[in-house]
Amino acid sequence: MVAAQDGHGGAYRRLLAEMSEWLARYFYRRLPPGEVDDAVQETLLAIHRRRHTYDPQYPLGPWLAAIAKNKWVDQLRSLARRPMDELPDVIAVGDHEAAVISSSVLASLLDELRPAQSQAILLVKVQGYSIEEASARIGLSPSAVKMNIHRGLARLTAIIEKTPDVE
Amino acid sequence: MSNESLIADLSSDLAPVQRRSMLREGGLVFALGAVELALFLALGVMRPDMHHMGGSPFLMWRMGSLGLLAIAACALAIKSYSPTAQPRRGVMLAGALAALAIVSGAFVAPEGVADRALLDRIDPASGILCATSIFLLSLPVMALLGALMRRAAPTQPRFSALASGIAAGACGAFVFAFCCPFNDPLYVIVWYSIGCAAVAAAARWRLPRRFRL
Repeated sequence: MVAAQDGHGGAYRRLLAEMSEWLARYFYRRLPPGEVDDAVQETLLAIHRRRHTYDPQYPLGPWLAAIAKNKWVDQLRSLARRPMDELPDVIAVGDHEAAVISSSVLASLLDELRPAQSQAILLVKVQGYSIEEASARIGLSPSAVKMNIHRGLARLTAIIEKTPDVE
Repeated sequence: MSNESLIADLSSDLAPVQRRSMLREGGLVFALGAVELALFLALGVMRPDMHHMGGSPFLMWRMGSLGLLAIAACALAIKSYSPTAQPRRGVMLAGALAALAIVSGAFVAPEGVADRALLDRIDPASGILCATSIFLLSLPVMALLGALMRRAAPTQPRFSALASGIAAGACGAFVFAFCCPFNDPLYVIVWYSIGCAAVAAAARWRLPRRFRL
């Protein structure tokens, strides 16, 4: 990074390539697979724009992890704002490892929420039910389900923001 | 665009960058504060008894606590612009420092001040003017801290903005204290706190909107 700050393009390219692999692993555990590439590229751009803020006296890992976590929270916020799409009937299934880890992380995060909020998020955001289907299953009105999702995601974002940057 | 082509774009024609230095940023804020104070005093508004500050525990308390709070809050704000900083604890520390300064004010009231009626002591008409002056005097430092924050990479921008507001408010209050004619700790505590809180609220509301990592 120090060489990159001094304008050494080759060192910077190698560094970004290594960082992009690390970031892909980081985001695969925390985001839906379709969001990972966007998150990696957003983070690489942020690293590029803010590379002067790295202090060589300190290790690079925590600096990178702090920026990645910030972008993760940004991505979660944009997910919460995005309109919900219906999932197709048939979904291609790839490697399960990332999904299993995501599921484990998600389950522990959902435990922190009120039951109505975690159930609504699980049904609509994870299992792909529509708002109407989820409201019929939970026994709440569609607007209450939407409110639970919105508040639950906001609470999740707050919980994640408070957690230390540990990879 | 793939990650590889993005990396190739970012690393081609890479220009050297000047590393962020907290010492340099602190020096900039200090220099701006000093220039502002000098310009303010050049208007001829300084209290005539400021030269004899050593003889008045009240003046020493006011200038000392405001100066200490300004320095601590500026250091905290600048430190919080680093991505790895955790400014929550620092903001609480600044709050504790301010509370300590407020409590210690009870022991430095000049004789006879405590006997006056509460409304006379607080003097709302002058107090509003005082809080407004503090707000206006804090704007240059707030603008500079906002610019430094935008250039840096705070990962908790709301806390960094709050710390910047507290720092700018304390700087504005410190400058204003050189001309404030009131000698009542209660007046200082009430109106200076309101002035600083208004600056902190404005910074907390405005600065994060102008920032994106």
